[in-house]
Amino acid sequence: MFRKSDTEPTMQVSPSKSQFVAVASIAAELSAVMEVAKEISLAAANAKAIAFRAGEKAKGFQPITDFINELAKETIALVNDINEHALKLYRLTVKEHRMAEACKRFEKVAASAESALHAASLRESLQQTRQRHADCHREFSRHVSELLSQLADVMHPARAARVIAANSRIEASQAGEYLQSLQAVAESVDHAAQIIHDKVHKCRGALSMIGTAA
Amino acid sequence: MKMTKIYEGAYQWIMYGRDPYKPDNIIDTNQYVVRTDKRCLLIDPGGIELFAPMLAAVLHHAPVDEITDLFASHQDPDIISSLGLWDQALPHAKLHAAALWEGFLRHFGCESIQYVPIADNGGVINLGSVELQIVPAHYLHSSANFNIYDPQAKIFFSGDIGAALEAPGKPVFVENFDAHVEKMRYFHQRWMPSNQAKRAWIDRVRGLDIDILAPQHGRMFKGDDVKRFLDWFEALQVGIAV
Ligand SMILES: [Fe+2]
Ligand SMILES: [Fe+2]
Repeated sequence: MFRKSDTEPTMQVSPSKSQFVAVASIAAELSAVMEVAKEISLAAANAKAIAFRAGEKAKGFQPITDFINELAKETIALVNDINEHALKLYRLTVKEHRMAEACKRFEKVAASAESALHAASLRESLQQTRQRHADCHREFSRHVSELLSQLADVMHPARAARVIAANSRIEASQAGEYLQSLQAVAESVDHAAQIIHDKVHKCRGALSMIGTAA
Repeated sequence: MKMTKIYEGAYQWIMYGRDPYKPDNIIDTNQYVVRTDKRCLLIDPGGIELFAPMLAAVLHHAPVDEITDLFASHQDPDIISSLGLWDQALPHAKLHAAALWEGFLRHFGCESIQYVPIADNGGVINLGSVELQIVPAHYLHSSANFNIYDPQAKIFFSGDIGAALEAPGKPVFVENFDAHVEKMRYFHQRWMPSNQAKRAWIDRVRGLDIDILAPQHGRMFKGDDVKRFLDWFEALQVGIAV
């Protein structure tokens, strides 16, 4: 569970450390979303086979299975995109962490080398590192907000899937002896859509925490 | 950080070590610097904890933009885990290190610094006014391992070979070889895996004219102690853990 109270205090103490954890947990949630999307697409194939066998009785169900399949495909494509983004975000986290670390150490050098003949030569590289760090930070924030809007996009097919699941239940009720198997399909689509919704919600939660901490 | 000039000619060799602020639980290391008129080579620049004291010390001898070259004898953290920080401080520098270790060393962070891979048979580092020889010392102790020989200054940087584990603040040169042996024995027997590699190295190094043998831990050997060390090491059985 993602509880606010679990993450907030550490976020304040060491933003970069919890940033690593947050980005890694996003990646974990996304791979779970992927699994569930694949399950949906399997359920769609299954439903199609049942609906085909049920023939006339499941006539209303057939276009629904196609639609479920489309949604699953769409989700998989979106998650693939998001995964790429999340990977980029992780690399930026590493980069930013390294730069922050370098700035910290350079300041230490500057303090302890005050009397050194060439102490002044450090000023420029310290400034450059600070600049690069700031640039990296900006890039990071930009990616966070892009990722947030992409995650919002994934919510759409998940929401649509829940509506379809509700329709499926109605259609299933007219399918006679196929009622149970079609209802099971509707259930599993509904369940999967709910999981995706929750996971994406968690991702967004983790991300907006980084966004505000950054 | 203590600084000891060990060669002064058209260029200088400086040894940095015995850092009094080093955390107690990390191994003490010697860093060496070759300073020419326009360039500066850091030999085994050290671990992350050593980055700040090391750079602060080098600034007494060279400005940042004249620190042009780094050399890593092998991949160990006490040698080069500071790479990610040098990479930020010296984006235009070169790192001379084993080709074999490239994919591993890059884990420390090496995006700006140019990685100059050293082939198994060694090579040279040309600093303009001096050309240093990179001497293979494989399996002593690392699988891809190099020493540095300066024929002009007659200094031989031997990496972990000749290393001794000592209490902090000890002198930088061996004063009594026989007493020093006990501080080296277990280290060499346990860390060095191959008697065959050791023999090949002894044969090679015996052919060089060396005034100072400079290891990465402990004290340096000077004059006759160099030969004493080679004789002692030749007779030592290594690879004792199996
Ligand atoms: Fe080593
Ligand atoms: Fe070492």
